[in-house]
This record gives sequence, C-alpha cells and structure tokens, in this order.
Amino acid sequence: MAVIARLESDTRAAARGWSDLTIRNIFILPTLAFLIVFNIFPLIYSLGYSFTDFRASVNDPVNFVGLQNYRELLNDPNIWRNFTVTAQYVIVSVGGQVIVGFGLALLLNRKIPFKGLITTLLLLPMMMSMAVVGLFWKLLYDPSWGIINYALGLGSFDWLSDPDVALYAVAITDIWMWAPFVMLLSLAGLSAVPQHLYEAAAIDRAGTWYTFTRITLPLVAPILIIAIIFRTMEAFKSFDLPFIMSGQPTTEMISIRLYKMAFQEWQTGRSSALAYIVLIVVLAITNIYVKYLNKVKER
Amino acid sequence: MLKKKWTALLAGAAMAFTVNAAAATELTIFWAEWDPANYLQELVNEYTAETGVTVTVETTPWSDFQTKAFTEFNAKGDAYDMVVGDSQWLGAGSTGGHYVDLTDFFNEHKLAEVMAPATVKYYAEYDGKYWAIPAEGDAAGWAYRKDWFEDPKEMEAFKAKYGYDLGVPEDYKQLRDIAEFFYRPDDKKYGIAIYTDNSYDAMAMGIESAVFSYGGDLGDYSTYKVDGIINSPENIAAVEMYKELYGFTPPNWGKVFFQEDNQAITENLAAMSMNFFAFFPALDNPALNPNAANTGYFANPKGPSGAQHAALGGQGISIVSYSQNKEEAMKFLEWFIRDDVQQKWADLGGYTCSQAVLKSEAFRNATPYNEAFYQSMFMVKDFWAVPEYAELLTAMNNRLYPYVVGGEGTAKEALDGLAADWNATFKKYGRM
Amino acid sequence: MAAVTSPARRVTNRIAIVAVLIITLIFLAPIYWIASTAFKPRALATSVPPTVLFQPEVTPFVKLFTKRVQLRKPVEPEVYDAAPWWEKAIYDGGERVLRVGDSVQLSPYPDRFLNSLIVAVTSTFLAVAMGTLTAYGFSRFRIAGENDLLFFILSTRMLPPVVVAIPMFLMYRVVGMTDTHLGLIILYTAFNLSFSVWLMKGFMDEIPKEYEEAALVDGYTRMQAFFKIVLPEATTGIAATAVFSFIIAWNEYAFALIMTNRRAQTAPPFIPAQVGSGLTDWTVIAAGTFLFLLPVAIFTFALRGHLLRGVTFGAIRK
Repeated sequence: MAVIARLESDTRAAARGWSDLTIRNIFILPTLAFLIVFNIFPLIYSLGYSFTDFRASVNDPVNFVGLQNYRELLNDPNIWRNFTVTAQYVIVSVGGQVIVGFGLALLLNRKIPFKGLITTLLLLPMMMSMAVVGLFWKLLYDPSWGIINYALGLGSFDWLSDPDVALYAVAITDIWMWAPFVMLLSLAGLSAVPQHLYEAAAIDRAGTWYTFTRITLPLVAPILIIAIIFRTMEAFKSFDLPFIMSGQPTTEMISIRLYKMAFQEWQTGRSSALAYIVLIVVLAITNIYVKYLNKVKER
Repeated sequence: MLKKKWTALLAGAAMAFTVNAAAATELTIFWAEWDPANYLQELVNEYTAETGVTVTVETTPWSDFQTKAFTEFNAKGDAYDMVVGDSQWLGAGSTGGHYVDLTDFFNEHKLAEVMAPATVKYYAEYDGKYWAIPAEGDAAGWAYRKDWFEDPKEMEAFKAKYGYDLGVPEDYKQLRDIAEFFYRPDDKKYGIAIYTDNSYDAMAMGIESAVFSYGGDLGDYSTYKVDGIINSPENIAAVEMYKELYGFTPPNWGKVFFQEDNQAITENLAAMSMNFFAFFPALDNPALNPNAANTGYFANPKGPSGAQHAALGGQGISIVSYSQNKEEAMKFLEWFIRDDVQQKWADLGGYTCSQAVLKSEAFRNATPYNEAFYQSMFMVKDFWAVPEYAELLTAMNNRLYPYVVGGEGTAKEALDGLAADWNATFKKYGRM
Repeated sequence: MAAVTSPARRVTNRIAIVAVLIITLIFLAPIYWIASTAFKPRALATSVPPTVLFQPEVTPFVKLFTKRVQLRKPVEPEVYDAAPWWEKAIYDGGERVLRVGDSVQLSPYPDRFLNSLIVAVTSTFLAVAMGTLTAYGFSRFRIAGENDLLFFILSTRMLPPVVVAIPMFLMYRVVGMTDTHLGLIILYTAFNLSFSVWLMKGFMDEIPKEYEEAALVDGYTRMQAFFKIVLPEATTGIAATAVFSFIIAWNEYAFALIMTNRRAQTAPPFIPAQVGSGLTDWTVIAAGTFLFLLPVAIFTFALRGHLLRGVTFGAIRK
C-alpha cells in the first residue's frame, strides 16, 4: 500500500526491538486488511451482480442487463416510499430519543440519591435484543390484553394495525430502547461544562432559559451531535423492530424491502443494485454529518 | 488476572473453530413451529428406538420458514437432511436442484395410489415428477363458538334481524351476517377472526379460500394467463368480502396469523375464527382453551354460486440434495410410508395423507375437527408452485394488503394491479 | 453545584428528583413486565385486566428447556402421580414432555445460548483487541490520508446489515461458511471493529504521549511501552468499548437470521421463534428473554464505572 512507503520512520525507538514502522504496520494493516476483505471485497463482488439478472436460487445462466436494475428501481414508486418511510422513521425516532434522552440528562445532572444506580438501570433497555423487544412490545401494545392501553385508559386504541399509527408505535419502542444512550452521552457532555460558568451566570442573575441556551446547549452540542449521528445511522439501518412488530406498508423501511428482495424473492442481481443505491445514500449522509461535526469541533 | 481472561477468551475462539464435527447417524428434519412438528418428533423418536438413528425435527416460526429454508438451500448447506416444505416450494425446490428426485421411490411404492389424490397432486408432483412424499395434509377451515351460536336469545335476535336461523354458515353471505351480528365492540366481542399477516402466505391463504369458493382462480396454471382470471368479477367480489370481514375483526387485527386467530376463540374475542386444521389441537385442549367444550368446527363455506373450496395447507417431506445422509434419509422415508407408521402418525395427531387411514371411521371421529378436515381435503385448491412463487406472493401481499387492512383504493384496482405485476413477472421468466 | 442552594433551587431540585423517579419507573415497567411474565402461569400472561400480583412459578423455565407436545387426551392418573413436580407442571398446562427412551428431550435453547456466548465473546475480543491496536497506530504514528482512512473505517459501520449480507452470503456459500460460528464471528468482528477503532482512538488521544516517551528513554522498546504503559492507561476505554461491542454482538438479529441455521444459530432469532404451536406462550418467550438478558446485564453492571467514565472522554474528544 502507498501508505507504508510514505511513512517517516522514527529512528529513536527503531534501534531497540521493532521499528515504529513495523509496529505501525502490525497494528494497522490487519484491521485495514480485515475490513477490506470482509467489507469492500464483497461489495465489489456484488457490484458486478448488480448489472445482471442473477438469482442465487436457480441455476439459470446469468445475463448482463446493464443499468436495467438501477433504472427500474429508481422508477419504482414503492422504493421511493420505502425511502420516505425510512426518513420519517429516522426523524421521529431520533427526534424523540434526543428530546427524552437529553431531557433525562438535564434532570439527572444534579445531586440525586442513587444517581449511579438509576443511570445504570436506565441503560437496561438498550442491553436487550431488538427482536425480542419488538415481540414483547406487541404484547404491551395489544388492545385487548396489553398493559399500555390499560394503564393509559386508551380502551382498544389500535397501535400496530392502523397504518397511520404503526410507524409512531414502532418509533416509541425505539425511543424507549435508545433514549438512554442519548442520555448517557449527554450526561457526559453536561458534566464537562465548567461549573464556574453557571456561577457567573447566577451572579449576573441570568434566567434559567438564558443560561440553558447560552451556556449549556452550545457546550453540549458536539457530544449531542455525536449521539445524533450514531442514532441516525442506526435508525436508518432499522430492520429488527419494524420487521417483527408491524407488516404495514407504512413501516416497510428500506432494509426490510431489501431483505425481502434478496432473501425471499431471491432477486439477487436487483437487490445488489438496491444495496448500492442504499450504500450511496448512506455515504452521502455520513459525509455531510462528518463535515458538520468537524465544523462544530473546530469552533 | 488479565492474562487469564485472555486465555479463556482464546480458548473460546479456538472452540468456535472446532464445533462443527457432525456424527453420522443423525438425521435432521426441518419444519415450521406448530403442533404437527411436535407430533412428528414424537413419531420419529420411535424410529430412533427401532434403528438407533437419532432424528431431530428442527422448527422455525412460519413467518420465516420459507426464508430459512431457502437461504439454507441456496447456500447449498447440509444442515438439514429432509425438509417438510410447503407445496408452493416444489417448483423452486425441483428446478433449483434442492430436492432429490423421488419419482422412482414414489412409483416403486405405488404412492400415487396409497396417498389421497389432492395430496399427490399438490404436495408431491411438479413437472411430471415426484419430489416429495405427502406427509401432512391440511386445509383452511373455521372454528366457532357453539355456546354463542346456541344461545336462545342470540338465535331469536338473529332470526329477527336476518330472517333465517343462526347456525353454521352455509355460504359466505351467512358468514358475513353472523360476523356482523356478533360484532359488538362496546362489549369487547367481535364477529370474526381472519388471517392478515403479510410476512409470508397467511393473508394470501385467507383470501384464496374466499376466492376459490367464489368460483374464482388465481390464474391458469398451465398457460400462465392471469389477466381476466385473477381480476375476474368473482375475485373482486371475494376480495371485497374479505375486506368487509376484516371490518368485523377484533382491534389490532392487521398482522395476525394462527396464534391470534386461536386466541380469538380462547379469549372470547370472536364468534368465528379462520385457521388451518392443524392449528386446531390447541382449541381442543381444555388446559389451553377454557372454551374447548364450546368450540365447534366447520369447513370453508360456499360462495354465491354454490362452489365450495378451501385453501390448501400441508406439506410433503423432501430429501435435501445437499444432505450428507441421503441414503439414511431414504431409509427413513421407507419407514415413514409404512402403513403401521402412517396409522401411528395419525394416532399421534399428524394429518396423514394415506387414503386408507383418512377414510377410516376411527380417524374421522378422532377429534371434533377431523370430519370437517376430511371433507375439506377433497375440495382444496392451491397457490402457484412455480419457482418464482415468492415474487408472486410478495406482489399479492403488496397489492391486497393496503386494500384489505389499510382501506386504500378498491378491490378492482388492487386486483388489476396484481394481474399486471404477475404478468410482468411471468414475462420476465419467459413463461409466456 | 453544591454552592447554589437558594430556596427556589431546592424546590426545582425536588421536582426534578420526583420526575426522574417517575421516568425511571416508566422505563423499567416493560422490563418488569417481561421479567414477571417469565414467572407467570400461562393463563395470566394475557389476562384482562393485567395481573400484577400472582404466585410465581418456574414452569416457564421448565418449558424453555424441554421439547413438549400437546396432550390429546387427559393423562392417566397413575402416570401423573408418578411424575416429578416439574413434569406435573407440564401436564397441568395440557402438554407432555417428549422422551427418547428414558431421557427427556431438551429444547435447542441451551445450544443457541451457547452459540451466542461463543460468537459474542470471541467477536468482542477480536474487535476490541484489533481496534485498540489500530487506534493506537492512528493516534501515535503519522499516516498518509489518515482522515480518509478513518472515514473509510467508519463508513463500513453505516451499512445496513442486509446490504452487507447479500454479498457475504454469496461468498460464504462458495467457501461453505454459512451456518458456521466462524462465519458469524467474522461478520460481528467486522461490524464492531470500526466502532471500536473510533471509540479507542478518542481514548488513545487522551493518553499523554510523554508517558511513553519517558518509558522509551528509560530503555523500553515501543512494544513494551505500549503494553506496560499505554494499555493500563486505556483500561477504561477498553472496558467501555467492550461493553458496547458485546451488547451489539450479543443481540444482533439480522445477520443471524440470514446466515445461520441449525448449527450456529444464536438466541436472538431463536427466542421469538418459540411462539409456541397453536397459541403464543408468552411465558416461555419471557423466560428465554429473561435468561438471555442476564449475562449482558451482569457484564454491563460489572463494568458500569468504566462505562460512565469511558463514554465521557471517549465521546468528547473524538
């Protein structure tokens, strides 16, 4: 690799034991090689298939079809709906997690008895398997014997069968699971805000709102953005929860569509093409995020 | 301390590389999670006692049965020696090279005569050859609350409202009336429970039952013509009926399959409930169903023209061509088709396809639902069995689900769209 | 914060404490519900109104570990009387335990659980170990195109599992690696590696270079300095990374669903599969879930000090 050749070796330590160059290569190259072999190579492999009508389920000869898969996918309104649903879900779910998680962190960021215990207990939801959580929330949401409607007195309010509600119902479950993650990161950010800033604000008799928007928020912003990045990525990938909880077209996210196309209908070539479309979207989003993050960090 | 932990972890890693050694005298049968799979496990335990060959029935839920089986087939994996696969899979299983050709075996043992005709046609045959041994017969049927139906007050009120006696519905119109009659959301009582799960074939099977009884068909299975057949007036009426029935279901009934439909009976939610017969044992079990004594069963009712059919369930058992134990599996099948074993299979609760056993009085009276099952098995029809059936199924789910559950558009639009989708699929695979 | 104790402040503090307690209870309610369902008689799992107080029983766990079949006729009294307590409980539920000869047939749950342990522990170890080394490399040595490489590493983590699963499935089937532990370990390691590199890089940047430089001057080799000086300093980061990686590998569902079957299947796709045969048996699912939560909960609680501190600096400095 080109990287190796351009290293300026540190000769001081090189005299004893391995040279820095060797160590660096031993430390880094296996990881890079591993990721290339198991992430990049497969993608190149499937790039080829995305231009064919290959089906892994039959032994038919594979035909080159050019851009047909891409053209048909991009013209398929269902695929666009899958993307829209995904975007909607990301906004609702991540938005909810930030509000609940950050809110909790603000509440917890003071002297509270058993704070450590409470914080750890709140992390329990995110230690669970999403597949199982989804299954159980179906039980909780059940209008006939679920505890949610019973506790809230909602009668037989329909959470998962109503196409207009299902997405929010799934998002609520996701918020329950992952708001604690946002809380954890926010707590870390809040505890790093220098105390003397608040004291100064108190002396100036600054209002709570002023203190919050002018001191707390800007200082916590970078870490909050990291939390949002992580959660957006995860929400975009969402598969387990909506897959197990709801079969509504209004909750069919792009991962689910892709799964069905690849492993139920066995349209291997076409699903490879869709995977590439998803890949490009994901890389674009990531790029925007990382640029934004770098900007915030520079401030 | 840290070192110790690391050694332990490395030991774990090393273990991971060595656990795949398989013993020779073990057979694995793959099936879905339901009572018949447990009955089969009980049956094959006798084979183990006889021969010393361990046979394990592995199960997975219906919702991912197809996916799990075909990922394994398409990976050419040898995890399963045999699979009790759905009838729709025959095309994909045979043309994909996943199933062992059992034609010689079939003819040698004259299975075409031994097994019931519908089961041979749908569970075993594809393209003139046999790929499976009919193992578990099944069809869609209905359970109902006898105590609700026989309550004099209800009977009187029903007669007053609809002008005829409340009883087991003769046709879909009566089915609808009864569902409407018992639909009382304020009392948490509902009319009917039907399949709506769109993750595999549940909803399709429910709709199919209505379509077939309405005299409709899904298409011409020999010429692949679908336009004018899948969107025929009969089918439109049948799908409209299915949607109407959905209106009388309990709340949150938008993604349900057999568990929920059985629960509708056990939890006093619905007067009638659709299910495949093989799911009914739970309803006949007083420990699971407090209403077991008050639960009756009937075959899928007639349509407006008097035609009467039911969607086919059930499966045949095939040998997976990637298995390392094909010969052992053959020996097992020889055992499985023995008359005494088929009788034992029926005694344990399996729905044997053996004509002799099926027709016996003992079998028809063995459970409260066996008689309805027996009748149904002579009027069953099935879904497409072409290799691309999964795409056809997805299209059907995508087109009809939003109409039935979401209330979008009309039945005609949905079925016209489905005809177009299916046409396109068949064109793509050069079938027309 | 201790300095500020105006009366108004104290009132807000009390309100906040009450709010925190209420929210915590709401968050824990579903988990309590799962845990309590694991000890409920089957009929109470879906009772209306919901049952909160009941006589706990371990029948769901007995069911979880055994293969059973529905009774088709009542069991003979003498057989029932001769049965051990746990088998009586199964009979009471309208079921019978399957046997081969005299031995009770076990359900696949213990196997799946063991698979989860093998796959999650090994892949977590690999991801954290490789991630730590790589993070150190990126933190201490000059590397051309460092930012691009780091972005590349991060981007491998953003792909939905299904996107990766398609080509991996095609490759695995060529080399016969579907349904193997190794196959799953590789996938999870790749999945967690990028995360681990990023998290560990934050920690490595935090550890002052001067520490190692002093050691180098004292005659340590770079490797000795890394193992004796840097690694101990990075314990918190390693622990936090390990917790996160383990949680992810332990609970992963999509790859396991697609790539594994009888031999290497882990528990997450298996537990929802235990829906029971004619009717959903929530108590068994709850029992399986409850047992499955224990290892990860214990692991997290054991390392919670590191986790809270670890997130603090790892995340801030990234």
